[in-house]
Amino acid sequence: MLPAREILWNAGDVRVVVYILAAIPILIFAYTLYERIRLWRIGGQERRLDQLGARVRSLITVALGHTRTLRYRYPGIMHLFIFWGFAILFLGTLTIFVQEDITLPIWGITFLHGDFYLFYSLILDLMGLLAIIGVLMALTRRYIWRPAMLDNKADDAITLALLLAILVTGFVVEGARLAAQQPPWGRWSPVGWVSASLFFSEATSHGVKTIHKVFWWVHLGLAFTFIGYITYSRLLHIISSALSIFFRNLNPPAALRPIEDMEEAETFGAGKLEDFTWVDLLQLDACTRCGRCQDNCPATFTEKPLNPKKVIQDLKLLFQEKGKRVIADMRVWGVKGEKASASSSQERAMIGEAILEDEIWSCTTCGACIDHCPVFIEPYPKLLEMRRYLTLMESRFPPEVQLAFRNMENNSNPWGIGASTRGDWAKELEVRTLAEDADAEFLLYVGCAGSFDDLNKRVSEAMVRILRAAGVNFGILGREEGCCGDSARRLGNEYLFQIMAQQNIEVMKGYNVKKIITLCPHGYNALKNEYPLFGGEFEVYHYTEILADLIAQGRIKFSKELNLEVAYHDSCYLGRHNHIYDPPRKILRTLPGVRLVEMERSREKGFCCGAGGGRMWMEEHLGTRINHARIEDVVKCNPQLVGTACPFCYTMLVDGIKEKELEDRYRARDIAELVREAMG
Amino acid sequence: MEIIVCLKQVPDTEAEIRPTPDNTEINYEGIKFVMNVYDEYAVEEALQIKERVGEGTVTIVTLGPERAVESIRTALAMGADKAVHLDDPAFGGGDAYSTAKALAKAIEGMSYDIIFCGKQAIDDDLAQGGNILGEFLNLPSITGIVKFDLSEDKKKATVQRQIEGGIEVLEVSLPAVFTATKGLNEPRYPSLPGIMKAKKKELKPIKLADLGLSEEEVGKKGAQIQVLKFSLPPVRQAGTIVGGDTPEEKAENLAKLLREEAKVI
Repeated sequence: MLPAREILWNAGDVRVVVYILAAIPILIFAYTLYERIRLWRIGGQERRLDQLGARVRSLITVALGHTRTLRYRYPGIMHLFIFWGFAILFLGTLTIFVQEDITLPIWGITFLHGDFYLFYSLILDLMGLLAIIGVLMALTRRYIWRPAMLDNKADDAITLALLLAILVTGFVVEGARLAAQQPPWGRWSPVGWVSASLFFSEATSHGVKTIHKVFWWVHLGLAFTFIGYITYSRLLHIISSALSIFFRNLNPPAALRPIEDMEEAETFGAGKLEDFTWVDLLQLDACTRCGRCQDNCPATFTEKPLNPKKVIQDLKLLFQEKGKRVIADMRVWGVKGEKASASSSQERAMIGEAILEDEIWSCTTCGACIDHCPVFIEPYPKLLEMRRYLTLMESRFPPEVQLAFRNMENNSNPWGIGASTRGDWAKELEVRTLAEDADAEFLLYVGCAGSFDDLNKRVSEAMVRILRAAGVNFGILGREEGCCGDSARRLGNEYLFQIMAQQNIEVMKGYNVKKIITLCPHGYNALKNEYPLFGGEFEVYHYTEILADLIAQGRIKFSKELNLEVAYHDSCYLGRHNHIYDPPRKILRTLPGVRLVEMERSREKGFCCGAGGGRMWMEEHLGTRINHARIEDVVKCNPQLVGTACPFCYTMLVDGIKEKELEDRYRARDIAELVREAMG
Repeated sequence: MEIIVCLKQVPDTEAEIRPTPDNTEINYEGIKFVMNVYDEYAVEEALQIKERVGEGTVTIVTLGPERAVESIRTALAMGADKAVHLDDPAFGGGDAYSTAKALAKAIEGMSYDIIFCGKQAIDDDLAQGGNILGEFLNLPSITGIVKFDLSEDKKKATVQRQIEGGIEVLEVSLPAVFTATKGLNEPRYPSLPGIMKAKKKELKPIKLADLGLSEEEVGKKGAQIQVLKFSLPPVRQAGTIVGGDTPEEKAENLAKLLREEAKVI
């Protein structure tokens, strides 16, 4: 006898009943999903259909391949088991449907027999087993270990129970069938076979058949419940998270969305849900509360009111409240989503009620929340859209921010030191300005810190000496240089940023600048990733890229043994936002007598210094200090020196070491200074 | 409530100030200009009064060259309703007297309940304009106020001045001139819609001929004080770091310098 299985064995001729029953949850699912999509579309426009190839690749690697989910090993494997278990089981069920309702009635072809059937049985059984293991792992983690990054809701329990029940009843049905039929190939369904011998070895044939029938219907009911439950539960993430991955941001991660047509626009930033884009709203539905963002957020870590997961969830709650009203309107009146979305007075305010201003201002824009999200949800850009609203529409920000804005407006640097003295640091070094020599190959864009801050002026000086020794032809802009605008932009002041960006671009283009070396990672990010959208297309390098290259070419010679153990602190705007992890480390490794060590949180897991996102210019009143937390990482790693390549990080580390009274044990230095020192 | 705010554009406090080669004027080339800080308090107070009362007009009156428009627009962006710009070369180079005269002439024909000025302009630091303006308009003037309260019937104002060791509370009937100083309020930062709206608000230029004054009465010619010369303060000499390998050696070198170079011991 050819191995095969009688479809609908023992169930009777219920095909029509089953299909009618199936139609109900499928229709519910389809219609509520349609409503959801309309809800997402109350958000504004955003172009996320470019680079289709890259989008499909993301879907394959990240959704199917779990590359990001697996960064957390246990939950990654757990989810992989559940995902692939159910995916294959679903495909298996679909195979039966294809045979029974398409190939068999039309062409009289069956294929679920013979060796293919045995292989099919084995794979499906093993996948069911994997899924059970996955669900048990999830239950253990969620309800026994209870890690801080998870919060439990009824929906989580219902979903996991539903999954487990579907799997277990499936194996009960299979066990009962195998026990009753006793096919010689039974062992090709190992789990079902064990289930048969465990539970049904003593049972009568009639008893087995009854149990089979009951569980067959229960299994079917649960499976249909599952389909109908998707759009009402976290199961929606099967669709929304996949969409979130597909519609991910493929632009440079730290290039903010420009506000266009500032002259004509009536509102700026996001003061209510509809001010977000449809991708933002879709992302709210794609969050499964896995907690990785909060686990990596420097603000959450230092007990500030900000928690990126909570931000997304609070926005989602607001979105759901709004959604109920919009959907009710759609169902009753059939009005268009956009019209129905008009904010009503019963709605909670987004800023002030759903999201507090302290949450909005606590963000350092380090980007860890996006980078650790398995499905590319973007929490911090939403906070920045809210900052834009507060700054541009309401002029509502902490008082020290106003001072920074004024200083940038009047003197093009957040310190407010006279713009005419910007080039003074270079006077004694006799650095040529482009006004004096426009033929320089590189523009050294010093930035505000390197021009005005005593600590960082030393870095500028070191860079000048290194570049000269290596024979690089460069010049500076001197007093013609302006602030890059990074801080203004991240504090929500897009207007000020665009003015400053346009001024810089005009000056640079005036000198026909082609290649730029920046000292500050924030300037690097602004010039490289943000200026192109305002017409400033330059070849932009961070100084660590240039130095690593010069060292590799043998153009920098070292003569002094430093004899130091150095841990390198990753600047967020260099590492996470621009993937420059290796050049600084390469430089450090080549310095004579430097032993490079790594802190626990380094590279992709690097921990912010606390100064990004304009936080450099703000007081840190809430929670504990972020730079102190980072110094504790230094203490754990215990190097002699912390190396940095960012003026803000440099300042924060030096201050942190001082404030924790560890100056006798640790020093912080910029890498350029170390290079200069090793050159003798 | 009709409120007038006199506003002056001045160089930023961090700007590099140099006299012209003949030392008779200041070389304003390449300098960043801003709204005088004390005038910001004046604008803010005017806006707050208007908001509290719920009606009225805040009018900016500025005397200055074309570039002053930028500061006028800032005040309009903060929320002022309209502006008058005394923009004529004849107005230039004046002292507090001739400037106040032109301002008074421009304000004369307007309706007003309150006139605010900044306590002083941070460039020439004269601190006279408000009072002279009051005299020309025959109005009482109170300088350096840190608090302003309008009476119920809006006919009187109770203001506070910071004086040595305490606070002085004064009452005055309106209209009157007040000069504002730090402590009066926290000037707002203009919102972007405010900035955009400001571009379309009324900004009326006024020439000498519009005022009915002669060239001899305003600006440099009408001034009672003439600037003879501007000079920069002496450049501070760089300090000396006393060398030496040990503290003892450093102390020895220091003592030597004090005795031989500075001749103080």
